Amino acid sequence: MASTAEHPSMVLIARKDLKMSAGKLAVQCSHAAVTCTVNARKTHARLVERWMNGGARKICLRADDLGTLQRLAGQAQSAGLVTTLVKDAGHTEVPPGTITVLGIGPAPRRAIDALVSDLKPY
Amino acid sequence: MGLRSFFHRLTAPPVIGQSPDGPCKMVCVVNHGLKMGKGKIAAQVGHGAVMATMKAGSLKPLFVEQWLATGQKKVCLKGADADHLLALEQLAKDAGILTTLVHDAGHTQIPSGSLTVLALGPETDDLLERITGELKLL
Repeated sequence: MASTAEHPSMVLIARKDLKMSAGKLAVQCSHAAVTCTVNARKTHARLVERWMNGGARKICLRADDLGTLQRLAGQAQSAGLVTTLVKDAGHTEVPPGTITVLGIGPAPRRAIDALVSDLKPY
Repeated sequence: MGLRSFFHRLTAPPVIGQSPDGPCKMVCVVNHGLKMGKGKIAAQVGHGAVMATMKAGSLKPLFVEQWLATGQKKVCLKGADADHLLALEQLAKDAGILTTLVHDAGHTQIPSGSLTVLALGPETDDLLERITGELKLL
């Protein structure tokens, strides 16, 4: 469907190697989603609006380790996309300061697909 | 500060609404009756968190400001089923807590329109504790 392909998208890429529980993963991903949205509203207000109107598409993908996350974050930043790395406060499960999730977007679907097409859903 | 934001500061109406009288958090109650995978749950909770933040941004801006500035604490809890989520929503509304329901578009895993998540807040810890105190962590 051409119309849905045009709607912007957001990806939340989580580290599989941390073996977070479902609740922990959900919380970390929503940190990324909220931070990305708040930041994107300042710089890409119309894109955020289109994204929300199109159902605020979010996908959760998995990355093998921290290195993958950092590499993708660098690529997304150089592509000019809104990027957030979530650093956990470490109250539970993982040591303080651990980078858990990378959020990219909302951004045009094509720009995101170009970066993360080889990642699997979490 | 840019010229535009400078003028905006001068001309913007003052922020209204009550300010929180303690630390704030957001609670997301997940419908555990649905068989959702971890990634699915994460995306649904993400929807709830973003929607709740937007809603509170216009209705309780000072709560959101404090919550964002203090590390946007979030807690993810287990709800039994859709009815449980709706009952909690009613309790929360009666207590003056902002509520957001997430219905899935049903592209994957579960039937379209399923109630997946109830997001509450950002609201003070004490008030949320009264509504969700007995729920288990997800």
